[in-house]
Amino acid sequence: MAGIYVHVPFCKSKCTYCDFASYPKEVGKAELYFACLYKEMKARAAQYPDMIFDTVYFGGGTPSFVDEKYITGAMRLIREKFYLSDDAEITIEINPGTLTEKKLAAYKSAGINRFSLGLQSADDAMLARLNRIHTLQDYYAAAKLLEGENFSADALIGLFDQTEKDVENTLSAIIESGASHVSVYALKAEEGTPIFSNYLNGDLPDEDAVADLYEFAVKYLEKREYYRYEVSNFAKRGRESRHNLNYWRRGEYLGFGVAASSHVANRRFTNTEIIDDYVKCIISGHYAEISSDEISGDEITAEYVMLALRTAEGIDAHDFKARFGVDFTERYADVLRRHGRYLDITDDRIRIKPEYLYVQNSIIIEFM
Amino acid sequence: MAAEKKENLRNFCIIAHIDHGKSTLADRIIEMTGQVAQRDMEDQLLDSMDLERERGITIKLTPVRMSYTAKDGKEYVFNLIDTPGHVDFTYEVSRSLAACEGAILIVDASQGIEAQTLANTYLALDNNLELLPVINKIDLLSARPDEVAKEIEDVIGLDGSSAPRISAKDGTNVEEVLEQIVKVIPPPVGDDDAPLQALIFDSYYDNYKGVICFVRIVNGTVSAGCKIKTFMSDKVFDVVEVGTFDPHLRPKQTLTSGEVGYIAASIKSIQDTTVGDTITLVDKPAPEPLPGYKKVQPVVFSGIYPLDGSKFNDLKDALLKLKLNDASLTFEPDNSVALGFGFRCGFLGLLHMEIIQQRLEREFDLDIITTAPSVSYKVYKTDKTMVMVNNPSHLPPVSDIEYIEEPIVKASIYSPPDYLGAIMDLCQEKRGVFLDMTYLDASRVRLTYKLPLNEIIYDFFDGLKSRTKGYASFDYELDEYERSDLVKLDMMLNGDICDALSIIVHRDKAYARGRAIGEKLKDVIPRQMFEIPIQACIGGKVIARETVKALRKDVLAKCYGGDITRKKKLLEKQKEGKKKMRRLGTVEVPSEAFMSILKIDTDD
Repeated sequence: MAGIYVHVPFCKSKCTYCDFASYPKEVGKAELYFACLYKEMKARAAQYPDMIFDTVYFGGGTPSFVDEKYITGAMRLIREKFYLSDDAEITIEINPGTLTEKKLAAYKSAGINRFSLGLQSADDAMLARLNRIHTLQDYYAAAKLLEGENFSADALIGLFDQTEKDVENTLSAIIESGASHVSVYALKAEEGTPIFSNYLNGDLPDEDAVADLYEFAVKYLEKREYYRYEVSNFAKRGRESRHNLNYWRRGEYLGFGVAASSHVANRRFTNTEIIDDYVKCIISGHYAEISSDEISGDEITAEYVMLALRTAEGIDAHDFKARFGVDFTERYADVLRRHGRYLDITDDRIRIKPEYLYVQNSIIIEFM
Repeated sequence: MAAEKKENLRNFCIIAHIDHGKSTLADRIIEMTGQVAQRDMEDQLLDSMDLERERGITIKLTPVRMSYTAKDGKEYVFNLIDTPGHVDFTYEVSRSLAACEGAILIVDASQGIEAQTLANTYLALDNNLELLPVINKIDLLSARPDEVAKEIEDVIGLDGSSAPRISAKDGTNVEEVLEQIVKVIPPPVGDDDAPLQALIFDSYYDNYKGVICFVRIVNGTVSAGCKIKTFMSDKVFDVVEVGTFDPHLRPKQTLTSGEVGYIAASIKSIQDTTVGDTITLVDKPAPEPLPGYKKVQPVVFSGIYPLDGSKFNDLKDALLKLKLNDASLTFEPDNSVALGFGFRCGFLGLLHMEIIQQRLEREFDLDIITTAPSVSYKVYKTDKTMVMVNNPSHLPPVSDIEYIEEPIVKASIYSPPDYLGAIMDLCQEKRGVFLDMTYLDASRVRLTYKLPLNEIIYDFFDGLKSRTKGYASFDYELDEYERSDLVKLDMMLNGDICDALSIIVHRDKAYARGRAIGEKLKDVIPRQMFEIPIQACIGGKVIARETVKALRKDVLAKCYGGDITRKKKLLEKQKEGKKKMRRLGTVEVPSEAFMSILKIDTDD
């Protein structure tokens, strides 16, 4: 099974922490952009004719910001050119300030069955400070439209002067609204973003404070039966994001549009982040890859371990043996001798102990 | 070379306090004798190591041969040997002096006589060199050449009035220096027909030619094809090439007595030539070697270990190669519980140590760990024997020690009088004993102190510079050993003593230093999966404690559009960073931690 990722690099305005391929001023290029994206899809469909897909994900940017015809057009093309299984999980990211009844109807008619709402915080002052375009009220309105649907919401931790109470407010708003899935991301101030100067000024909580907020969120959500299936992702049973799990299981996926990454036949490649470059490449009949790496040998094993250890389920010992022809415990006997105490190891699974999941890098690098 | 031509040879070096313009004058002289086309001149031609150029100091000797037509119409050959100016490299200076008949003594026209001016003057006089004083930097607004000329007379006892007043920077009066070289510095005396005696004053390893020996031919001649041997080794070598320096190697038919040049004889092993040894001919050997030099004793010791234990042999080869042209470096294999196999190295001072450390890293591309420096202690044991200890972890158990003596130096500090109070405070903090104070003139004072060497090797020099706005200079010589109340201070990481972090320290300072080291380690040791207690202890008793808290957050953020490659690169980078650390027991310690304990201000 494999996934399709579609990147929509447009948004109404840029959030102060956003470090991603998203261009508020370029929305006039949407027509041209999607024409190219469709062309890229057709070419890849011909290049990889035998793949079967069971997830689609529209990410951004703000996919819900552009005219819904581009999204439904993409879905039409996907169904036409690729094998998409009947029970496919099809997700779109939505900014609560942009969802309308009309849009939602169009999405649903295109077969989209999962919605990811970017709430981030239940505090309107904080939302304004982050240059988010919506309020808590907008979120409730969007959630109301989505009543009965399978939807997720994002919460940010590590915001200005954030307390446990603030995190609780955000999480309770999400739970109350009926979301079946919650992503809790720690804000990371990247160089070049407006928030980086706040970070340098020491206006953001330090590592220990963020870890406290994270632990609080984990406890709060697990108590309400949103269990942590990946370090930043929580869901009701059966409501995990299959699209994301596919990444962690080292599955294959095709990415379309700027900055989109793909993984097919042990090759990982990524498109340019620059819209104009992307358009030029595609129009002139080329792909827009700016990097391409063939993964082979031990690197495959290292990737597999690195990705699986992010998740709560960890590594499936039998799957590992089937893929690599050796028992995990034998292959990494040396590492396990020194660092085994941070892992839960049974005959079936190897996973990072829950209390160490938030310091997983230190453990994962030992396997690389 | 015929006897009358020897009359026209001048071998000299330039000595000065650091920054008084030695290399600039050398460059000007080379330029004016037309040795190097101006367009080929890089600034400070003789400082060939990157490190020298970067720091603006001379570390190694570099000889160069020039010809000069004097006003008397005769053509003279000059051999100039550049010398280092820093207190650590006094030994290198003494080596170049032995190859010369005279020395140009540069004094800065605004700063006047400084510590190294005097130290090098005495060295030159000990070697019976003719001194030619020169007052440099007269182009500076603050230049006071008349006063400095008087200082030269009063303090050194040379005729300051005839000293050329020059600006090496813009070339003013440098011609006068060239003329005085001819007049003041005597030609060499030597006998071409006597058996060969060539003094090795430096050497280095060339990948193609083997060891290149820098020599001063004192008696006899040598040319390609000769069979040679040295007095310290019985091995015989065939001379492949001899020549002079322009300053690059310039082959020549024969070297005769009085000349300065090089000998290449396909010598592969660097232990076969020792600086200070004498080369002679196998067929017609000299009856005895030249006096050579007094072997210098290293005064500062530290452990050097490969970061990656398997690079032990690479480190050994690198040290052997450095030793070849740095006779003052000593090393012997050592092993530490914490760091494994490495070497205990002896240095002339902290700058020397730092330079060796950087050369190992740059020229040999080695990742190394250097432990905190120590001096050599005399430990008198209860069984009435005495052992020298320069490695704190080799200190015998307290119960076996009767008492310990530490090396004391006599330090001369030169400064404007405004800073006397600050300097006296500093010396007091460093357990100094005041000996003497002399006014050189109204604006300069010389203070003499007795100071324990182990106080100087920490941060004395930095402290002196910062408290006197850089105006003070200092020089020291080893004086004697004195009984002192010294203890071994151990550092424990997560409950295990780390022998590489132990130091020997005066009991009165142990508490403050232990606390300071603990705080420093807390800053440099990154947070790990568990809490790490850092304890300072003396004889098992904990005197200070710090804690590195356990790591709480070490995770990569959301996976944007499935970009696994980016994630992988970030993790790989993190892994690379970890490789730069050394695992001590259960704790990962960055290599700079070992040195960082040195750079601690314990003044509070």
